[in-house]
Amino acid sequence: MIGRNVVISLVLVVVAVVAQTAVFGDGRINPFGVSPAVVVVVVLACARYLDPEPSILLGFTGGMLLDLLGGAPLGLWAMAYTVVVYVAFRFRERTDDGPFMLAIGVVGLTLLANALFVVVGTLFGERFFTNADVIKNMVVPAFYNLFIAAVAFPLVTRLIGDRRRVGWSA
Amino acid sequence: MQSFQRFDRSTTLMVVLLVVSFLLATFDVRSDGTGVGTTMRDGAQTLFSPLQDVASAITRPVVGFIDALSDIASLRSENERLRRENEGLQSQLDRVASLEADFAHLKEITGLEDPGGLPTVVARIASSGSSSFDHVRYIDKGSDDGISLGDAVVDEKGLVGRIDLVLDNRARVRLILDPNVEVAVVDQSTSQAGIVRGDNENDLLLRMFDVDEPAREGSVVVTAGSRFPPGITVGVITQTAVDDAGFGLVTGVAPSVSFSRLDYVKVIVQYSPLDAASVEEEQQQQEDATDGEQPADGSTTDGSDGSTTTEPTG
Repeated sequence: MIGRNVVISLVLVVVAVVAQTAVFGDGRINPFGVSPAVVVVVVLACARYLDPEPSILLGFTGGMLLDLLGGAPLGLWAMAYTVVVYVAFRFRERTDDGPFMLAIGVVGLTLLANALFVVVGTLFGERFFTNADVIKNMVVPAFYNLFIAAVAFPLVTRLIGDRRRVGWSA
Repeated sequence: MQSFQRFDRSTTLMVVLLVVSFLLATFDVRSDGTGVGTTMRDGAQTLFSPLQDVASAITRPVVGFIDALSDIASLRSENERLRRENEGLQSQLDRVASLEADFAHLKEITGLEDPGGLPTVVARIASSGSSSFDHVRYIDKGSDDGISLGDAVVDEKGLVGRIDLVLDNRARVRLILDPNVEVAVVDQSTSQAGIVRGDNENDLLLRMFDVDEPAREGSVVVTAGSRFPPGITVGVITQTAVDDAGFGLVTGVAPSVSFSRLDYVKVIVQYSPLDAASVEEEQQQQEDATDGEQPADGSTTDGSDGSTTTEPTG
């Protein structure tokens, strides 16, 4: 069962990466010049039903795929998503499950991922802070992700959901 | 105790993955387009490009519709900007006619190739970057089609960017919006040289040093001819700027290309910066031949000076 869930999660992350680069990327569906961060939502949705180690690996994989298909140095998104999943696990053991906490979790963790990406990217020579829209690019996707999460979380629950372990407090 | 061990294992795993990511980023930054990073990107593109093509084909009509909807809010300000731009351009039209005549004459003298005469490869945008922080596009042509690193990418409106990663059947275009891309340009109305760099989402920043005349709003800037072939439209100056203190001037440039609507592009292949250098050298030799007393040190300020050294692109 665990192996099946991991495989399905991997497939979902691949689908999310394809959607991110072919549908939601810069120059595609990106209202007000900003695109949602689909992959992090799917990773977080899957992490609700997986053990910590597979979840962290899933986050790393999703980030690495974004790195491979994007324009920034390899490893930046992988680093950001690894930390985000880890933080999600630290918090989910201490918080209630419910739509409100999930919403806060999605917004907060997307913000964290983007902030980590920008800070670490800057350390590696990327000129993110010369972009006047850097704050917008960090904050707006977090709120777009609320809408993505409203679709992704129930879908993932249907596919790999386990009634014994649901939500951040599982 | 069990939960502590689990926490401990996940922490260890996270630290290991962070170290791996850090090392990968370090190698990738230092490799400068070669090495293991390129091999991994090649593999990922090979695996993902069919999926991306299918996703793009299915969603293209929907994407266009949603894109149009999201643009409605910005249409009013865009209209206003275009009206102002149009007024500026109208005033330039008279000057353009005489400039065209000058250019035709210069072409005869120097044998300078018009960018339209260079061999090109038509490609379609296959996918974009992975986030709003990326200023890249992937095209559906690669080294198999003759594309190589550094090739200029244009569309019918002007300069789009340059190729910074080449795979067999794909290539990555780094847009001129990227702050790491710098383009040597010439102001068409004054022939003064400068450097354009990505500034933010929609604008470019023009810096000009050692200028005698102001950079006027509405003036068109084109590539000066070094890494990019000469004469490609880059954009229009958005605000008049004057070199008050003698250190040069800085102003904005609205790119001529609409990056959110890129679909088909042309890659200019088989162009080498050495072509521009040789053209300049020939020009210099001809000048020397006609006027033997002129210095041959390249210290002119006619817009071609220094243009071969101004694109430390990332």
